Amino acid sequence: MVILREGICPGINEDFIKALQSEDIRTVEDFVSFNPEELAQKCSLSYKALVAVRRVLLAQCTAFPVSAADLYEELLSSTAILSTGSPSLDKLLDSGLYTGEITELIGSPGSGKTQVCFSVAVNMSHQLKQTVFYIDTRGGVCANRLLQMLQTSTPDMEEQMEALKKIKVFRVFDVFSLLACLQNLRSNGLQKASVGGGSVKALMVDSVSAVLSSMLGGKQNEGMSLMMQVAGEMKMIAKDFNIAVLVTNHVTKDGNGHLKAGLGQSWSHVPRTRVLLQRVENAETPSLRTATLTKSSRQACRLVEEFDLCHWSEERSTSISAKRKLESSKP
Amino acid sequence: MHRTVPSLPLAPSVKVKLINAGFQVASDLIDMRPLQLCKEAGISQEEAVEVLQMLRDDAQPHQQRAATESLTALDLLHHEQTLGSIVTFCSGLDNALGGGVPVGKTTEICGAPGVGKTQLCIQLAVDVQIPVCFGGLGGKALYVDTEGSFLVQRVSDMAEAAVQHCTLLAEDTEQKQALEELTVEKILSNLFLVRCHDYVELLAEVYLLPDFLSEHPEVRLIVIDSIAFPFRHDFEDLSQRTRLLNGLAQQLIQLATQHSLAVVLTNQMTTRVSNGQSKLVPALGESWGHAATQRLILHWEGLRRLASLYKSPSQMEATIQYQITVQGFRDAPDEPRLASSSGNYSKRPRMEDLS
Repeated sequence: MVILREGICPGINEDFIKALQSEDIRTVEDFVSFNPEELAQKCSLSYKALVAVRRVLLAQCTAFPVSAADLYEELLSSTAILSTGSPSLDKLLDSGLYTGEITELIGSPGSGKTQVCFSVAVNMSHQLKQTVFYIDTRGGVCANRLLQMLQTSTPDMEEQMEALKKIKVFRVFDVFSLLACLQNLRSNGLQKASVGGGSVKALMVDSVSAVLSSMLGGKQNEGMSLMMQVAGEMKMIAKDFNIAVLVTNHVTKDGNGHLKAGLGQSWSHVPRTRVLLQRVENAETPSLRTATLTKSSRQACRLVEEFDLCHWSEERSTSISAKRKLESSKP
Repeated sequence: MHRTVPSLPLAPSVKVKLINAGFQVASDLIDMRPLQLCKEAGISQEEAVEVLQMLRDDAQPHQQRAATESLTALDLLHHEQTLGSIVTFCSGLDNALGGGVPVGKTTEICGAPGVGKTQLCIQLAVDVQIPVCFGGLGGKALYVDTEGSFLVQRVSDMAEAAVQHCTLLAEDTEQKQALEELTVEKILSNLFLVRCHDYVELLAEVYLLPDFLSEHPEVRLIVIDSIAFPFRHDFEDLSQRTRLLNGLAQQLIQLATQHSLAVVLTNQMTTRVSNGQSKLVPALGESWGHAATQRLILHWEGLRRLASLYKSPSQMEATIQYQITVQGFRDAPDEPRLASSSGNYSKRPRMEDLS
């Protein structure tokens, strides 16, 4: 809904707008949906001018097709796959988090969503030397734990401090601040950070459900609109800046007692890849978790991997990598 | 700042009118005069003033800071180290929690009736006042009681024990001086009690807390005992309940972060039947489980009282034993047996044995 204003395209001046307004045409949308011939008669404007303006406006507002070959070329040159640092999780995600995509972690309380976010953040800032943006909406970010994780991977204090400096934490507690934060990142935060040493390749939001679920439910309708705005902003950030976005979400039970992602149907289309984290019941080590791939465009769904939150970067010898349908179908 | 109009914290009806009038980003609005805006967008003058007021507040540096300025994890680490934590007087639990109940975070304590939730809360309300020279925080406490289970007699018992404990520790002159200040009366006078009878009162209280906290900046602990009671009845629309609870949780986390204080909530347990087995789980539903940063579950095992750290962003899961004495919340006498079962959470289903 772009409003018709002076100067948005050559040929539109004050008189032109006044004439249109007398017919209650205020936006570009109103303007292009009118037949120019009819309009020329009604507003006594020149038919030629109207058609010209219309062409320019349409060209300004339209999207142009891109050839898939070009797109593929661009994809190869710009997409990065960021390793999470955990071999089993990387296997599940087809070698890591892809830039330009939204990946979602879901799980019940205490299933390790925040821990996985921490591990990924630490791995990216330390091993991959990338700046990471971490939006914390639950007050769960704990620098002490980040330091602890770094200490296991390097004994060098300098390196630890360097890595910690690369993790930038935003603490927002309501959806409006979250939107403000995302929009600010989009308009100036991201470029700035990429100029000052090391580009930003990852954004984490832990958790989206925290700020959104207080707006949903009951008789409020606005929550839906805000949720889709958050989704839109995140997609835009992921695509425009080629950033891997990792979000966490809670789970609810469906009718059969199976776990499904929170925030409902319309949210479930937002992330490209979804991983369900679960505790291993009656395990010897309480930090053992399973990760199940529940949505993916690259791998077979229902892939299961097991990992230990305490020994993030070690490969588990007893990996229970279930049926990999794609591989087994090959001769 | 590049804010779109739909993302502004305004009434939906006002937003619709603004969008229909062609305003898309906040910068289209910021230079308008109220009268001009009210004419162009077809909103009332009050609404126009409100919109502009909001935009100006939003652009204030202190408002913007949270949304646009990031802290590096290193800054956060230094900040965390200055915050400290509230000791519980039970060394096992302190170790499991990494030094006590952390300031700046929310902690949920769940447990069956009589297992010691309120006792732990009262203990914390006393302990937060231990002077800085004794390794405490020297803060004040706010206690929101929704169940009517607060016993001032217990506070004075525990306060007396805490004073005695400090007397034994006092060595240098600074500590002795601090001791003269630390009396049972002083402890009682630094504990603010609010009695809320239903969820409306509780919500109102929590939303008014920022004012109270700016008047009393020394408050380092807010206890809500319990969050479950007002929300477990009088609710027909469960989605409404979830919404209110989530909003409350976010508000509390915000308070904890902005005012550097610990928030402790207690929750009841409920029975869930799955696969023909019943087991005790914290009340208020699955999504509430995400609300608090840390979750501590108190439960019985035979005659032993156990505390299990179920969820924490910084500490390992652990189970420790404790006891409740006249003096308050303390370590259990037989320590060695416990070490073996620590960390093993599979024993949780036995909680229902005694309930």
